[in-house]
Amino acid sequence: MTDLQVPRSGRAVAWDRRRASLAGAWRGLGNDRLALLGFIVLLLFTLMAFAAPLLSDKSSLSAANTGDNPVWSPPSWEFLFGTDHLGHSVAAQFLWGSRISLFVGLMATLLQVGIGSLVGLTAGFFGGWVDAVLMRITDWFLVIPFLPLAIVLAAVLQRGLWTIILVIGVTSWPSTARLLRAQVLTVRQRLYVDRARSLGAGRIHVMRRHVLPNVTPLILASTTLAVPISILTETTLSFLGLGDPTATSWGGMLNAAKDNSAISGGRWWAYMPPGLGIVFVVLAVTLFGRALEEILDPRLRER
Amino acid sequence: MRLRFVIMKVAGALSTLAFVVVFNFFLFRIVNENTVESMFRGRNLSASQIARLERQFNLDGSKWEQFTAYVGQLLHGNLGVSMKDFRPVATVVGEALWPTILLVGTSTLLAMTGIFLGFRAGWRRRSRYDVGVTTFSMFTYSMPDAWLSMVFLGLFASGLGLFPTGGLEDSGSNLTGLSQFLDQAHHMSLPAMVLAIAYIGEYTIVARSAMIDTLREDYLQLARAKGLTDSNVRRKHAQPNARLPVVSLSALNFGFVLSGAIVVETIFSWPGLGQLTRNAATGPDFPVLQGLFLLFSASLIFANLVADLLYGRIDPRVNGR
Amino acid sequence: MSTSLRRRVLLGVAAATAALGSTVVGSVVVSGAQTSAADDVTLTVGLLQDVDSPNVTVGYTVAAYELWNLQYATLTDKAADDFSIIPGLAESWEASADGLAYTYHLRDGLKWSDGEPLTADDVVWTINTSREQEWTNHFATTANLTATVVDDRTLTIATAVPDPKLPTMDVYIVPKHIWESHAGTVDDLAAYDALDGVGSGPFTLTERKANQEWTMVANPNYWKGTPAISQVVFRVFSDGDAMVTALRSGEIDVAHLVPSQAFDDLKSEADIVTVAGAQGGFTELAMNGMAGGLGDGHPALQDINVRHAIARAIDREALFDRVVKRQGELIDTLGVSPDSVWTPTLLADQKLGYDPAAANAALDAAGYLDVDGNGIREMPGGGDELKFRYAERSDSVNGAALRELIEGWLSEIGIALDVSVFDDTQLGQQLYDGTYDLFVWGWTPFVDPDPMLSYFTCAQLTTDAASPGYNDANWCSPEYDAMYTQQNQELDRAKRVEIVKKMITLFYTESTYVVLYHDSDTQAYRTDRFTGWTQQPKGTGPVVFSNTSPSYFNLKPIEGASSGDSSSTGLLIGIIGGVLVLLVIGGVFIARSRSTADERE
Repeated sequence: MTDLQVPRSGRAVAWDRRRASLAGAWRGLGNDRLALLGFIVLLLFTLMAFAAPLLSDKSSLSAANTGDNPVWSPPSWEFLFGTDHLGHSVAAQFLWGSRISLFVGLMATLLQVGIGSLVGLTAGFFGGWVDAVLMRITDWFLVIPFLPLAIVLAAVLQRGLWTIILVIGVTSWPSTARLLRAQVLTVRQRLYVDRARSLGAGRIHVMRRHVLPNVTPLILASTTLAVPISILTETTLSFLGLGDPTATSWGGMLNAAKDNSAISGGRWWAYMPPGLGIVFVVLAVTLFGRALEEILDPRLRER
Repeated sequence: MRLRFVIMKVAGALSTLAFVVVFNFFLFRIVNENTVESMFRGRNLSASQIARLERQFNLDGSKWEQFTAYVGQLLHGNLGVSMKDFRPVATVVGEALWPTILLVGTSTLLAMTGIFLGFRAGWRRRSRYDVGVTTFSMFTYSMPDAWLSMVFLGLFASGLGLFPTGGLEDSGSNLTGLSQFLDQAHHMSLPAMVLAIAYIGEYTIVARSAMIDTLREDYLQLARAKGLTDSNVRRKHAQPNARLPVVSLSALNFGFVLSGAIVVETIFSWPGLGQLTRNAATGPDFPVLQGLFLLFSASLIFANLVADLLYGRIDPRVNGR
Repeated sequence: MSTSLRRRVLLGVAAATAALGSTVVGSVVVSGAQTSAADDVTLTVGLLQDVDSPNVTVGYTVAAYELWNLQYATLTDKAADDFSIIPGLAESWEASADGLAYTYHLRDGLKWSDGEPLTADDVVWTINTSREQEWTNHFATTANLTATVVDDRTLTIATAVPDPKLPTMDVYIVPKHIWESHAGTVDDLAAYDALDGVGSGPFTLTERKANQEWTMVANPNYWKGTPAISQVVFRVFSDGDAMVTALRSGEIDVAHLVPSQAFDDLKSEADIVTVAGAQGGFTELAMNGMAGGLGDGHPALQDINVRHAIARAIDREALFDRVVKRQGELIDTLGVSPDSVWTPTLLADQKLGYDPAAANAALDAAGYLDVDGNGIREMPGGGDELKFRYAERSDSVNGAALRELIEGWLSEIGIALDVSVFDDTQLGQQLYDGTYDLFVWGWTPFVDPDPMLSYFTCAQLTTDAASPGYNDANWCSPEYDAMYTQQNQELDRAKRVEIVKKMITLFYTESTYVVLYHDSDTQAYRTDRFTGWTQQPKGTGPVVFSNTSPSYFNLKPIEGASSGDSSSTGLLIGIIGGVLVLLVIGGVFIARSRSTADERE
């Protein structure tokens, strides 16, 4: 079709391939309507979280400034989600709470995936006794009961967002570690790695050129899928009163609703918005994450 | 199943258990320096009373002395004594065990119906059935159980008044036999449904993924090439292998949910291990917490062991190692 | 999976679902149809906390005290109206000449619930053993007492130092014939599970299901007579809302510590009466007075002008209204007893009322100026900012609300807060170490003011974090201590009241506490099943979990009261449930048959 093909460097060819696969991935995502929906919802919530300072004044979260508001007012034009027992606008709490829930969810996931990746990659790559020791440690952490440990840890450390992040991160990394180690082992067994080794390639080279590119998508995918779990866990911990009362997340709003008899008093607007918010965010991330996983995980790619 | 395989798995389980015992011991001693003072805060104890209590709760002497005493007690089946009411921890935990097993067992059975949904969904990937089931699973999986409990409580207990708001049985009831069974079932309905809905999604999704993974295997192509019908291939070849991750998930889940039903038990006043954990955390009543940690970890270790051995039984590729 | 295995599993799951469905249905029908027997009158009490131990030497919770109030009669009793002393097991007593000993005469024919006679021996044994073994709940009263038997119905109690509490003798008397065998050492006694249910009070323990409920039955040998109620069930809820719903539906007859929002809601219910029962308990904002010498409290708080300014900055009326919903009393001073006789009246110029303008002026005058204009004052001469650490209690439901309001008000007088959240154990440790500036906590006093007053003496300061005292005001005054010793041994009641009032006033003007409000036990009871609910003290106190819990004996069932659901609702639910179950079973079979058809391709 064109005139003479100019010989291109290996690197250029590789970049072309990457661009093509990215384009394919993007198309793949677009084809999956649910995933697209998830992506849009997630984008909306993220935008909303960032825009919170523009949409609502943070000082309205303090009871010192809500003295004139009606107490327990159902949703109205003035207060879209109604007010609580102190006159706080539930909508304002929802907006600001989204920041906390999303932030903690993201940070805890990064911590958890960070530790898990480190352990998993090291174990898978070095093999031998390093692998055995690290996997033993992973197994040990897997059997420690998560929620009781979280409760005990939160009781030791001071209440705060970083404590929750730490608690979730430190207790959830084992599954990521296991997953990555398995993937590293799989890759190492593949023929082309053997061929590379037989050609004289060193360990580092194998790591960089073969293992990492095959493992990175998996890390990305498992990160996306770990976010929902982190958000749900943060909700549970805040609900049990282990969260940070000075920075109320959606889970904290549920706790406050329960403590202030929103259930028996029929004041559904105090617990439905935060609950539904969690459901939609988690669902959105899950849908999007699963589609991403299908695209990125070489094992799951459609024939 | 080879003996060597079994021995290795059991040895692994025991070593994990040993780690748990050590971890358990040190966790609670690091957590709180003045355990007796903080537990009995406000009771105006004299120095001699404090010393006596420290001796009773194995808090005097060096850490090593305490540790050997602790292990010695464990080997005799003595889990120590609760700091709240001085009753043996084994008794306190034992009382709470059955309600949790009842609740978790029932809800797990219900949630396991998700396995069938998932198998079918994975088999007919991208069909309307699959999309429906997957969306349903992800929807329920996204629900925080705290919120779901509140909604159920608000709707069915407070609102419609169909179910009691908490507890194991009606107040002051001395029912036995069928009446007691029905009474307990009535009280258990809401929390069991919440837990079942919360976990059904996971079973469905895992079963589906397992089925999809299995579908890629070569031996299925071979089976099809041999002319076997579609469903035959699914039932005789795909499902047996797809069972593996599901089995291990079920075993793991039982262990997790045992300790994770804290939220549901608290909201529904269900007198099980979750509630006990919550109550023991205030104080903290650390002999009880230690006993609970040990119980939860041991049950997970056991569940893992069972899953590994089952794996070995089902999948001949595994146990040959 | 083989066909047969699959079928078996499917059947199993279907069976389980069907079983669950039918039990749900059946249980609803059964519970709807349940009625209690005609002569079995049961009172059901709802509460949020279980008894920790029924053993008087071990237990410490409010729930345990209620159990003992019902199970163990005391030598002297307290009137429901005003805590005044009235005969209990002892029908009369007289003082010795020097007032250091009392002789008590027991009633005739006293018996324990198991039929054994109750004699002076039991009383003497209880008092002396509790002193020797330092029983936690008894020792504060019996530390200086020695009891001697005169005869079966007479005993003498002698005190080593003048004791204004006598002749009140309200320690729980336990049956010697049961307890002596367990009381080798105090460790042995602590190990006793105390489930014998042998007592001398109106009710005795008959069954205990830990974390669920405990049941007490009427004692026919109670010296006042047999109660009109045949049994009392105490039911433990782990969720306040669930307890409120249970009260509304009639599952329980009275609820203790109803969540404050629900309390408001219940006021408008026809069959329910709400009681905000005062026990003298209060909530305070406390500052670090650094009297113990430990830690690093902000130096500004040691200046009385700053403390008074802080007191004036708080709009206690608004706080009481919005946070506490007026469920309590707006009293400024230390609560030392549910008996209001000890409460002083403050003079107009002593009161530190809400006046932020005056607070600002006072701080300006004292030299705390905001030099750099950032809204926060600095120490005189331009030193550290007035930024105080504020410890919020995570275990308090109102903790966040209180902090939001206080933070706002203090910012209006140029004080900033650095907020941290702690649970009670962590906060306790902070207090011992002295590494705090401000916190909000509360106390509940006893009937006699002595214990509460003793907490703020110099002896109770924490000077060594390893053996902490009670004085969390971290303040003390020799004048206060002198008055404390005086009232501790003042036998003339009127004089003692005056001394205590002076102490409380001194505490108000000088100390590091700003009492925010006096709280109350929020209770609610149904009016359609029982009558005779007794408040202790009259008009202001709670109806249950009060000092001697007189309600239980006074309650009588109302004739012809209904009990719970009607069976027609149950039947309707049963029908709906049955249909649902059929649908489920049908669905499973359809699913099965479809897959079988699948196989037939």
